[in-house]
Amino acid sequence: MKFALFLGCQIPIRLKQYETSSRAILERLGVGLVDIEEFNCCGYPLRNIEFKAFLLSSARNLALAEKKKLDVMTLCQCCYGSLKKASVLLKENASLRKEVNAILEREGLPYEGEVEVKHLLYVLHQEVGVEAIKKNISKTFKGLKIAAHYGCHALRPSQVVRFDDPVAPSIFDQLVEATGAESISWPMRLECCGAPLWGINDELSMDLTLKKLNNGKESGAEYLCVACPYCHLQFDAVQKKIIVQRGMNHPLPSILYPQLLGLSLGMDGEVLGLKMNQIPCSGIEKLLIEPAGMPTG
Amino acid sequence: MRLSLSRRVRGWFKALIHSRRFSQSWMGKNLSMIQLMELDACTHCGMCTSHCSVAIAFEGIPNINILPSEKLASIKALASGRPLEEREIKDLQEGVTLCTNCYRCTVVCPVGIDLQSFWIKVRELLLQRGIPELSVLSPLSFYRGLMKDETAQGDYEKPLTQAREAIASQCDLLRNKDKILPVTSADRRLQNGLNLSAQAKTFSACFGCQTCTTVCPVVGNYEHPQETLGLLPHQIMQAAGLGLRDLAFGSSMLWDCLTCYQCQEQCPQGVWVTDVLYELKNLAVKYVKEKAL
Repeated sequence: MKFALFLGCQIPIRLKQYETSSRAILERLGVGLVDIEEFNCCGYPLRNIEFKAFLLSSARNLALAEKKKLDVMTLCQCCYGSLKKASVLLKENASLRKEVNAILEREGLPYEGEVEVKHLLYVLHQEVGVEAIKKNISKTFKGLKIAAHYGCHALRPSQVVRFDDPVAPSIFDQLVEATGAESISWPMRLECCGAPLWGINDELSMDLTLKKLNNGKESGAEYLCVACPYCHLQFDAVQKKIIVQRGMNHPLPSILYPQLLGLSLGMDGEVLGLKMNQIPCSGIEKLLIEPAGMPTG
Repeated sequence: MRLSLSRRVRGWFKALIHSRRFSQSWMGKNLSMIQLMELDACTHCGMCTSHCSVAIAFEGIPNINILPSEKLASIKALASGRPLEEREIKDLQEGVTLCTNCYRCTVVCPVGIDLQSFWIKVRELLLQRGIPELSVLSPLSFYRGLMKDETAQGDYEKPLTQAREAIASQCDLLRNKDKILPVTSADRRLQNGLNLSAQAKTFSACFGCQTCTTVCPVVGNYEHPQETLGLLPHQIMQAAGLGLRDLAFGSSMLWDCLTCYQCQEQCPQGVWVTDVLYELKNLAVKYVKEKAL
């Protein structure tokens, strides 16, 4: 099992711990990763401005992966949504493909439409499998309540992304529960994190984030678990600003899924970059136990 | 390598600083000493452009200032005190804004110029000059938001307000609510323009059930949503159907859309609501740009 790892623009510079923890768990689980240095922006932020700039950005990445005969795995749900949208458009619409290829061919990168785009959570659930993950687990969480945040661009539009059931998804919950933690049910679990409006309309963005955080806390969650850099930065860096500006009592820290799983695989909090999360989440390590009768390591 | 180049640069730098025209130029007053030195350290090798995350966007938005190496050349011209035309400033402003702030240019620069910090600094300087920049109304502004504590509150809000006002000022119908519309007002150009991804044509299937509006978390955030947002999603679909460009472009709803796809997912008529909103934004950016020429 081998993928071209698509990191996007945020992770390498603003969320290094997402990259290191993902690489660590994927290596343990036997998922091979190939880095393609020439990858560019997925096109997501350009979609508000110019359709062709968006499509070309995505298409170039797909073409680069196709040249290496690899499928793409993303850690970001916005990258996932964009690349997926572009791949579907380019597959279905021959005239768009022709138009895009006229430009990409100058670089020797025509895109034939052969690349599959997958998100980290999908790969872990569908290709590695929950049972295989459980076999690798050396420590389990006890009494830990997690609010799994699915993220909009992984779930919707379901016709395009085909990630999970858009109304009653379960793959993230299953992955969280593989670590022994309880994935709580909470009313706002499928709502947006608010990040797409951060920097555009901060008050509205904070309103939406705050509602979601409160809903998670009221439902009994101790931590949020996410698998997208935008969602995490919103629930981490932006939540810090919300605490100050909106006088929030106690935060609901966010942990990245590979960090949560990594702890359960017996990895060190340092390796997983737990301390790099801005709202402290190291307390979560205290809830780990080594199950009796299970081989460790 | 960095040191020896700095030595080479010192001579040019000295000459530059002592030229009166430069020290009086607007850019000269606003860049730090180290940044001024860096300007002349650039050998125009093109490494930044070949690693730029958004360089490919140049093929869709033909503005050479999207490319970092060319952007720096324009900044150099601006800093030398040569009076730039408004058109050139606009292009540079768009160039420094169409950037994902990924820092790859800084990382790869062989002479060690902190290019990313340059773009951020120049972007903030230009955005305060009063020329509206519509691309600030996109997720490219996410990083600007994260770094907002480094900008004065008024300076932070100004480009955002300015961009929204620039759109509203081109939308007569929103300001002039009593205007009587001719029955044949349909703007075919608007309807025909909604064909970038083919899905946007689906707006015509809307029968006004308001499901999109009911499930929209942005609409749900306000007690009186129309007062804040203008047209709501189902009304925007109908405005597109009627060719009422002003109402569609000028509604805050369009720019406050999260693109969470709740509306599109639940539309019983198969209207690709979010994708229609995306395309309307693209058309509005193009329209306002053309009007401003």
